[in-house]
Amino acid sequence: MAGPWCTKLLADYGADVIKVERPGTGDVSRGHGPFAGGVPHPETSALFVWLNTSKRSITLDVTSATGRGLALRIAAQCDAVALDRSPSQLERLRLSPEDLHAVNERLVVTCVSAFGQSGPYADWASSNAVAYAAGGQYYITGDPEREPLLNGGYQAEYQAGTWAFGAALAALWQARASGEGQVAEVAGVEAMASILEFYVPDYVYRKSEALSRRRGNFASAAVGIYPAADGYIGIHCMPKNWPQFIRAMDAEWMATDERFADNRARLRHDDELSAQIYAWAAGLTKQEAYRRAGEARAPITPVNTMADLLASEHLRARGFFRDIGHPDAGAMRYAGPPSRMPASPPQPRRAPRLGEHNAEVFGDMLGLDGRDLTRLSAAGVI
Amino acid sequence: MDPARLPLNGVRVLDLTMVWAGPYGTRLLADMGAEVIKVEAARSWDMLRSLHFLGGTTERWWNKSAYFNHNNRNKYACTIDLQTERGRELALRLAAMSDVVVENYRSDVVRKLRLDYADLRSVKDDIILVSMPSHGKDGPESHHVAYGTNVEQLAGLVSITGYPGEGPHKSPIAYGDPNAGAIAAASAVAALLHRERTGEGQHVEVAQWEAMIPNIGEFILAFQMSGRLPESIGNAHVSRVQNVYGCAGDDEWVSISVGSDAEFAALCGVIGRADLVRDTRFADVVSRRRNQPELDAIIGEWTRRRRHEEAARALQAAGVPAAPLLKIPQLVANEHLNARGFWEEVTQADAGTWTMEGPAWRMWRTPAHVRVPPPMFGEHNYYVFRHLLGLSEEEIAALEGDGVIATTPDLGLHA
Repeated sequence: MAGPWCTKLLADYGADVIKVERPGTGDVSRGHGPFAGGVPHPETSALFVWLNTSKRSITLDVTSATGRGLALRIAAQCDAVALDRSPSQLERLRLSPEDLHAVNERLVVTCVSAFGQSGPYADWASSNAVAYAAGGQYYITGDPEREPLLNGGYQAEYQAGTWAFGAALAALWQARASGEGQVAEVAGVEAMASILEFYVPDYVYRKSEALSRRRGNFASAAVGIYPAADGYIGIHCMPKNWPQFIRAMDAEWMATDERFADNRARLRHDDELSAQIYAWAAGLTKQEAYRRAGEARAPITPVNTMADLLASEHLRARGFFRDIGHPDAGAMRYAGPPSRMPASPPQPRRAPRLGEHNAEVFGDMLGLDGRDLTRLSAAGVI
Repeated sequence: MDPARLPLNGVRVLDLTMVWAGPYGTRLLADMGAEVIKVEAARSWDMLRSLHFLGGTTERWWNKSAYFNHNNRNKYACTIDLQTERGRELALRLAAMSDVVVENYRSDVVRKLRLDYADLRSVKDDIILVSMPSHGKDGPESHHVAYGTNVEQLAGLVSITGYPGEGPHKSPIAYGDPNAGAIAAASAVAALLHRERTGEGQHVEVAQWEAMIPNIGEFILAFQMSGRLPESIGNAHVSRVQNVYGCAGDDEWVSISVGSDAEFAALCGVIGRADLVRDTRFADVVSRRRNQPELDAIIGEWTRRRRHEEAARALQAAGVPAAPLLKIPQLVANEHLNARGFWEEVTQADAGTWTMEGPAWRMWRTPAHVRVPPPMFGEHNYYVFRHLLGLSEEEIAALEGDGVIATTPDLGLHA
């Protein structure tokens, strides 16, 4: 997933991305449900159509000598190649960064995988959960007295892919000036180990494990998740937000209550503060809490569901979601690009069908005609 | 590595960001060789400097916060009070000699400071401004404020995280921050590439809420397909047999994730239960997932007699996806990360010597390292005002005397 997310970003931001898929089955994510219509179908997987917008798809069996040769001929005409395999897999395929640079020394080769291209775990089998664990975030997620909890979705994969996107762009920027190729490598576990807030910095500096345990949903009463009348809200009140916070709660009396006079006092009376917030939150909807927070400029937010996001007036007014049609999966509203670039706005297009662009890619780039494609197809290469 | 060969060598970034999202983004640029100049002020300094956990009596504690230092290494730090007219002029002079300006103020602040895109363009036509407001610069909720924890709540991630059948759960970190930072850094480089081709700069906007939603983009499509809100499935996976299993060490866990028949057979071999492959309860993908509680108990029987790293190594040797849930000290001691040279030793005059993560965008031909120690408050005032802007010693002293630039923070700010 990390690789396809990286190349989706490149494609949505304007690169011509040619996705190489295995003949017959294609990317494994094509088998990942749910599917439009509820029945497994290689063109209607939610995960696949999401992660592959704006790309072209060709089929190519790179394990065959013919397929590998064609892949290298295409690579010779590209600016960049993205790989998401382990070093021994690339070695077996003879498609390592060195093999690619042998046909095009100016290539930016981006390698993204859970454990990177070197080190004792480089060939370990991986999944999102594995990278979340070995990158250090799994152990600290969840409630202190229970088993650790995996974060929702595939966050270790997405982080690795986002980093690979940045690394690939930096290498392209460098190559444009130096004229030399590069290998931009991202290991998911390193991306994850780099974003552990104060957990790692505090431990390595003070050598104390005091702040390196699971803390559940609450750092203190003022930083946590509370049930509202129709869902949940999140509160993150730093000391400087206190005046706005009690205004949002319509509890300005707290300003003159000595139990809540300053941050130290509030931490001493954490349970009492917590009780006040529980009572307040339970009495109103999450949207009402959010509206009051906005008026008071307090950091209180709804725990939005997928339905809330699609109904959000703010996101609608900003044109965040994009309506994208698909001949098999149908029209849906896709999340927009993660940043806005008005001079060069990303324009996501629908994901490709398996091998949809075989004729144009093999034809335009390699000069193969219909009869050549028939031969390749008969041999199972495309 | 000669810094002149780093990918972003020659790119100058004026960094008006504080706390985590912005500084993390500019750190990624600094790691890649950009010259990042961070601006603080006596009455507006980075709150992370106050999260030092060292106690109040430590001398110059504002230079010793590891949390600040990790996110600001490889940068230069100067002080300018942007709320003064002379301070604003200094900032504009720096912007005029920069390629990129990054800010993560609340949506209305750069306008009030008169340092918005139009102001910057008036001194440098092709400037790239990266703004990182939580909700974006426009829209009915743009006046709301949010931290990184709020961002993941807004973005829907928290609603799909949780123990099965229970309420939502937060990340252990303010996840919205580093996510927006990484997107901002990548977007800044994309804007540089666009400028190179067309000659034009632009005002890049990273609304932190919007930057996070794509990380669960498939769930948004899945909801439209099925009409059902996703349930929290905890440590499980929709189709694989996946969980965390308790190990012999104190609060130690191993993550194991098994999908195909081949992976399952390998797992059975490692735990000495080859018989399970023929057990009707676990014979195929569907029955394994349906009978996972029974299978979990059998796997747990094996893991609880081993340390997590030992269990993971044995499973991986047979090709089974597995990993120890590394605790923070174990992460720092981890054989894989150390073999890769991920951890680097850094020395800064006030904070001393300690370990921090190296740059994780790894460029094989031009490897980067921590080359500039994390800056102390106002440490590079002289470099910025004397060398870059060419002010005289007298002018610098006058600015300091008038409080436009400072050498110590006003400690009342983040009390």
